[in-house]
Amino acid sequence: MSEHRSHFIVSTMRYVYVVILAVIFILPIIFITFTALKSNADLLTNPFYAFPEKFQWGNFGKAWEQGKLGMYMKNTAVIAFIKVPIGIIIEALAAYALTRMFFKWSTIVFSFFLVGMMIPMQATLVPLNILLNKLNLVNTYPGIFLIYIGFGVPFGILILRGFFRTIPKELDESALIDGCGELGKFFRIILPLSMPAIATLFIFDFMATWNEFLLAQIFITKDSMRTITTGLLAFRGEFTVDYTLLNAGVLISIIPILAVYLSLQRFFVAGLAGSVKG
Amino acid sequence: MSIRAMKPWLFLMPALLIYLTVIFFPTLHTLYLSLFNWNGVSPDREFVGIQNYIDLVFNNSTFPTAMKNNFLWTIGSITFVVGLGLMLALLMNQKLKGVVIFRGIFYFPYVLSGVIVATIWTWMYNPSHGLVNKLLETVGLESWTHAWLAEPKIALAAVFVAAVWHGVGQPMVLFLAGLQMIPQDPYEAAIIDGAKPHQTFWYITVPLLRETFMIVVAITMIASLKVYDIIFAMTGGGPAESTHVLASMMYFQTFRFANVGVGSAISIFLVILSMIIIIPYVYYTTKKSHV
Repeated sequence: MSEHRSHFIVSTMRYVYVVILAVIFILPIIFITFTALKSNADLLTNPFYAFPEKFQWGNFGKAWEQGKLGMYMKNTAVIAFIKVPIGIIIEALAAYALTRMFFKWSTIVFSFFLVGMMIPMQATLVPLNILLNKLNLVNTYPGIFLIYIGFGVPFGILILRGFFRTIPKELDESALIDGCGELGKFFRIILPLSMPAIATLFIFDFMATWNEFLLAQIFITKDSMRTITTGLLAFRGEFTVDYTLLNAGVLISIIPILAVYLSLQRFFVAGLAGSVKG
Repeated sequence: MSIRAMKPWLFLMPALLIYLTVIFFPTLHTLYLSLFNWNGVSPDREFVGIQNYIDLVFNNSTFPTAMKNNFLWTIGSITFVVGLGLMLALLMNQKLKGVVIFRGIFYFPYVLSGVIVATIWTWMYNPSHGLVNKLLETVGLESWTHAWLAEPKIALAAVFVAAVWHGVGQPMVLFLAGLQMIPQDPYEAAIIDGAKPHQTFWYITVPLLRETFMIVVAITMIASLKVYDIIFAMTGGGPAESTHVLASMMYFQTFRFANVGVGSAISIFLVILSMIIIIPYVYYTTKKSHV
């Protein structure tokens, strides 16, 4: 009996720990939500824990408009929705050559790509700037895609190569008998079978592109092309003292990520662990 | 070359070309630029050999700070981000009501951008209206309040707390995956042998998680070396240059002060440090996979 009771106490304690930690983790989000829903006078006069006197839904409209958040998000979405699929196709073609084409140089070429994972972006910024200037691609979408895709190549190949290797070779032989060429094999057999890995890579690459800051800061300097990270920073610079609007803006920029996260949570939690092992 | 031998190269070509253009050749170019004194625009640049490196190490007051901060950040991350991540994973690995919701809460900050996290926490740390000081005042600890991001001694630690909140979800998920791969038998055997919970943890869980530890520590070290967004967006390296890391210093030297040679030399330091971390890791993992 006493053992049963002590077990009960231990598991209750554990639960209390988890709840306390979870509250601490959510606190910042609650705090910015409260701030975003208050008026400036309410914020400055009433205690921080007080519920907003009157919900200032108008803050969101103002932040959306004055912060140009809609434009920044649209720009980011355009880049991500084009960059990610093109990148994955390029990486998949390479991973296919490395795993299924009896390619003599496979290990060497793969190691060469892996070297790219060791290179911090900083080591490429100035030469890339010079290159874009020479090609007249500064602040153009082709220039941006080139650079964004480039930095995704090593990781994408690592993940896809790892997955392609797990697909049984017998499938290749049957495809050969059915008269598929290499491209047919790639599009009809390997890609469809790799959909779980591709979906995971898509989500992670999309998130990384959405959240990308350094490349955006250096290579997208025109305000009308800015992405949400550098856009939010510019917005912050303008509203340094208008806390309610600033927090409304932050909350708005969290919402799309939160929506994606909630609908694809399974992928995030299972996918990351699987892909690293890949 | 026969058509059959050329085919793989055709499949590889787009990836190889982009990789060479965006990563490989620019890195060599940076190595070359680090040997010059150049402002980035003027047509003539002066060859100075390894002077930029010597100046950084011996005559620069910020570089040692940046190196020290990267080092502290790495140690701090391995201790707190990995430690807290493991603790959360152990808690989440229990049969707990609503475990999916808790896991979602702890992981969520990880999907936010560094800029969003920085903006949230800059507001949390606001000296007069921020939650941190307000909470301290409410519980009667007014003497503990600070201008968190404006005092050189504590600014880096303050940014680091925000980074822990941001990043702890990743090791948690990796450890959770590792924990779920551990079979139940050794635990059952241990219970029969009368092992205490802390013993099963140190003698079963930790050794069987070794591979996960390797991955998590390697990822954490690389992330600590590259840390940039959150520092740039919270303190910009200040106050009094106290929170600079190599990446933020590289940005300011290159793009604000137009010292392209010095900025390039800092980048090369980053490359070397990152190789020091990754090469042993790759060596270890590939050697093991051949056995």
